[in-house]
Amino acid sequence: MSVPAADILTTPVPAGPESEAAGRASGGWLRSAEITIPGAVLAALLFFCFIWPLVYPVPKPIGGSLLTTNLPLWSPGHILGTDTVGDDVMSRILYGGRVSFEVAAAVQVIGLVIGGLFGMLAAYRGGWLEAVLMRILDVFIAFPSLVLVLAISDSLGPSETHVIWALSAFSIPAFGRVARAATLRLRDQPFVVAARLSGSRAWRIQLLHLVPNMLPQLLTFSLLGAGITIILEGALDFLGYGIPPPGPSWGNMIAAGQSFMSVYPRFVLVPSIFLLVSVLCLNLLGDGLRARWGVR
Amino acid sequence: MNASVTVQPARWPGGARARRLASSPALRLSGRRLLSAIPVLWGVTFLTFLTLNALPGDAASALLGINATPAEIRAFSIKLHLNEPLWVRYGHWLGGVVHGNLGSSLASPQTVASVLEQRLPVTLELVAYALVITFVVSIPLAVLCAHRPRGLTDRLCMVLSMCGISIAPYVLGLLLVLFFAVDIPIFPAIGYQSIGAGIAGNLKDLTLPAIVVALPLAAFYTRFLRADLLEQMQSEDYIVTARAKGLGPWRVLTQHALRNSFIGLLTVIGLNLATLIGSTVIVEQIFSLPGIGYELLQAISNRDVPVVEGIVLVFGAVVVLANLATDLLYGVLDPRIRHVRSRS
Repeated sequence: MSVPAADILTTPVPAGPESEAAGRASGGWLRSAEITIPGAVLAALLFFCFIWPLVYPVPKPIGGSLLTTNLPLWSPGHILGTDTVGDDVMSRILYGGRVSFEVAAAVQVIGLVIGGLFGMLAAYRGGWLEAVLMRILDVFIAFPSLVLVLAISDSLGPSETHVIWALSAFSIPAFGRVARAATLRLRDQPFVVAARLSGSRAWRIQLLHLVPNMLPQLLTFSLLGAGITIILEGALDFLGYGIPPPGPSWGNMIAAGQSFMSVYPRFVLVPSIFLLVSVLCLNLLGDGLRARWGVR
Repeated sequence: MNASVTVQPARWPGGARARRLASSPALRLSGRRLLSAIPVLWGVTFLTFLTLNALPGDAASALLGINATPAEIRAFSIKLHLNEPLWVRYGHWLGGVVHGNLGSSLASPQTVASVLEQRLPVTLELVAYALVITFVVSIPLAVLCAHRPRGLTDRLCMVLSMCGISIAPYVLGLLLVLFFAVDIPIFPAIGYQSIGAGIAGNLKDLTLPAIVVALPLAAFYTRFLRADLLEQMQSEDYIVTARAKGLGPWRVLTQHALRNSFIGLLTVIGLNLATLIGSTVIVEQIFSLPGIGYELLQAISNRDVPVVEGIVLVFGAVVVLANLATDLLYGVLDPRIRHVRSRS
């Protein structure tokens, strides 16, 4: 909904014939840097969001003291300062990052399992099953998922679980489409035909021959999808349909900071930078792996 | 759809032209696609209806607010026909739609058609403006990048476009407002002036929102078009021919490769259009533009089912028509496709 995003990623950019030749020409280190740098930044972000608050006394993300509001950056005890109600910004960033990454991971896993399974089944079995499943997928694609997302979060009440299910409305059809295309490509390959001729059952061929072969494609796709999910989760928070407001999340911080933007731009800028860096790293990593594994 | 026009009885006897038209692949394609769109559109509206009704809350309690007594809510439900069973309401709505009547809004005395008539032009103008910005930015950039792959311009473009894809629209919107409405007040932060009230003011109001919609799109199209151009330049025979004829590199790039790359770009635009229109919802919210997305958010929170259905139907129809237009344009761009019976 937010970016043309959700679809940007279902339509792969042609890998470009220069990707292999260029890797050799410009030295191996640059190629691996395309993967290691975003990977390392992501690992650091994940470490600070999930593990750091367990081992280091980070202030609480909510319930800060009203005596210490609007502290500037680099204040003692509050590296990124405090917000208008005295909550530590750094802590809200870390706990908000947890929400973003948890939602992103959950939505991708749900999409991968459900969408991937249906897409593979449809393409492998063909016939009426494919026709029915693909028409359902068509409906989902023509259906503005936003309506479903907003309706779900509006009526079930805002919460992390509801956000996850609502956003899965985007990921399931997207994975379905990718898995179907991958299966169609693999279905008549010699190794699948050989497996079929040697009497393997359909489920065995699908699980042991098709799945491992399309996993790289689905995994890179899910990295790119995770970036989109983080943006969408923030959008739901921003519209007031996501994590309920005092709870820490990047979208909430941006929405709350919006009112003070002309006085304290940092309330918007700090979470925005974290959001941008996370999504950028996910996209770079996805792109890098796509080029390395030669998937399209 | 034009079959009735082409099968004119006056021309039909011996009218080879009419017969050729009726059997033209483009018309057959249009007819088939429009027919196959009907079940998809039906599914979309049915799904929307089910979703909105399966979830807790209804229009009566949403519109009357939390202070209404149960008796008031019941009376209002009866007035809005919300007490009738689900399939009766859906059947009633569907019957109206088949006759071209989209029903009337539950929240306001307007008909759905007049709500759409008011709101749709704003969104369409925003999308059109954004698409113009997108093409003006991305096509020249992609050609520049493809002219010297892995050169300085190319690397810079690739880095910037990656950032453009990764930035969230609400962040971009707020940053643009911060810079161009607060720090250097060139453009208004919010508000909208209709095109009738002056085209300059109207364009000025729409510039920031259009940039927000266009930037991620431009970033993506630049990457896509660049990769496609490089593929054309490296692997296609007609490029070798064009070079062998002695054409300069720019000419080969812009007049031969670009023309063919447009086919790939067109597919992506057709696929993106649904999400592009969806993306206006957030942008309209940030900039308080009275478009269809703004209306959609309100209608959903009011549980105004007929308005939501109307908007969903328009979204669906736009997607179907855009995909059809894409397929028809293929034929214009690539004569090889024109004569092949394309399977939808």
